[in-house]
Amino acid sequence: MSGVASLGAQDAYEGALSSVDLSVEIGVNAKVPLILKNPVMAASGTFGYGVEYAKLIDVQRFGAIVSKSITVHANRGHRGPRIVETPAGMLNAIGLQNVGVRRVIKEMAPIWAQWDVPVVVNIAGETAGDYARMAADLDGVPGVSGLELNISCPNVWEGGQVVGEDAAAAGAITHDVRAHTGLPVIVKLSPGVADIRGVARAAEAAGADAISLINTLVGMKIDTRTARPALAHGTGGLSGPAIHPIAVWLVYLVSQEVNVPVVGIGGVASPDDAVEFMLAGASAVQVGTSTFVEPNTAIEIIDRLPEVVRSRGYQSVRNLVGLAHPADPAVAAP
Amino acid sequence: MSRILAMVVGNKEIMPATHVVRLRVGPIGGQASPGQFLHIRCGDGHDPLLRRPMSVYRTEGDVIEILVRTMGKGSAWLNDRRIGDELDCLGPQGRGFRLDPMARHLLFVGGGHGVAPLIGLAEQALAKGSSVTLAVGASTASLVFPAGLLPAQVEYLVATDDGSAGYRGMVTDLVEDWLGWADAIYGYGQTPTVEALADKMQRRVPRKPGQVALEERMACSTGACLSCMVEMRRGQLRACVDGPVFDIYQVAWDQRTA
Repeated sequence: MSGVASLGAQDAYEGALSSVDLSVEIGVNAKVPLILKNPVMAASGTFGYGVEYAKLIDVQRFGAIVSKSITVHANRGHRGPRIVETPAGMLNAIGLQNVGVRRVIKEMAPIWAQWDVPVVVNIAGETAGDYARMAADLDGVPGVSGLELNISCPNVWEGGQVVGEDAAAAGAITHDVRAHTGLPVIVKLSPGVADIRGVARAAEAAGADAISLINTLVGMKIDTRTARPALAHGTGGLSGPAIHPIAVWLVYLVSQEVNVPVVGIGGVASPDDAVEFMLAGASAVQVGTSTFVEPNTAIEIIDRLPEVVRSRGYQSVRNLVGLAHPADPAVAAP
Repeated sequence: MSRILAMVVGNKEIMPATHVVRLRVGPIGGQASPGQFLHIRCGDGHDPLLRRPMSVYRTEGDVIEILVRTMGKGSAWLNDRRIGDELDCLGPQGRGFRLDPMARHLLFVGGGHGVAPLIGLAEQALAKGSSVTLAVGASTASLVFPAGLLPAQVEYLVATDDGSAGYRGMVTDLVEDWLGWADAIYGYGQTPTVEALADKMQRRVPRKPGQVALEERMACSTGACLSCMVEMRRGQLRACVDGPVFDIYQVAWDQRTA
């Protein structure tokens, strides 16, 4: 008898979990909003064009996949060594190697068009005009569900983040892109700026549908045997669990500054890390470096989220967003 | 490529700081070839963070052996494993060496612990009735792979930087007289060794079949991250999925950073 009863309880519990709403909408005002069936995305630069990991894991389970950064022209990237491990992280200087926007449209988009999972294309300009040009090229292409603007790659422009540092320039690029596409536009911010809130506000005012942050932080490792930088490029972008607290802090700041959804990126390695981002104000998260270590990281988060939502007595993952903000009574309570 | 939970079934130090770790990997063991690698997670924490690529040394039924020299945190962790421990592996990854079916005389040239897959390959070649010469270079005698662990039929040549064993100098100078004898040449090791081998072959025996395995730093091993790019005469290839074994004449050696 007790066995039957507990089985019933188990069923009820699982039923409650399956009724939890994990969906998130990005680009409410875009021509075609981006509906994520869950808030977990693959981060740009760590998931190739999605096809590579499709051989190892079920990529259709993701809320969305963000492609690696693409540029107008194909790019060979930097010389090696391109990566080096650091404590709880890694530095990379890939140099935006990619096949160029034309081949992405011709060879990758038709594959993505067959997929359930939406693919967001991350675009990186070598000039300010490149962004609008690629936005126009990608507009209406079947298989492309959104754009993420990389205005902050630390590896390409001489001297670092020329565009992302300047709120006015970030706004101008966003505005330009907005004018050339009906796709939802996510603007990805760099942590290496004096006033990240100002950049976020400028992007929002210029029509961004969402803000994602953070890109990698500029760092360097020196090989003490050779007395030379360990990366051929010299500097690289730091990613991995080491940067998670910085990202949580900046998501916490920016999400209180803008009204559009914020996407948390940086060092997500576990379901708890993802929940932390949401409590800090992120509507969705991206998993990056941890996929290299554990390809199932994102899927484990997706599987675990319903339980986290239910344990707080909520029906939707959206209820978690920003719970840690100071104005919220849930945080003020002891 | 697949996910394997491999059980450690042996761990033996065969020379200072170098272990043969035996892993029971299941049926996939029979499909792995020397030059392919397992991408192994070293611990379940964040440091070391990245998986370590470990070349297949030998295969035996459902067992893959790897040769691990303690170089840093990851390899030290691997060499500390005990029988019964389980290792989280992706693999076998990449494309391994392909034995040339027409070749009767095979020359294998390895530097440092890069000798591992060449030994497994040499055993396969011997089983097919080929003659095998294996030449290895090391900095000093204590780092030379023990001759006693090689099949007796292998002709074994040794070069050391300090002259403490065998020829004093580079292994690629030592093998000059064998380049003509060989029908096919296979190389593995650190960049300077394989570069010197490629250079020597191109000058002395151009067009002779040759393959080399390249050691590149990698993060994902699935072809996604583009950390391990190799400049080729035509375009670029990824060491993790397109290699790590490449045709010696297809690599753009002049574009490599030493």
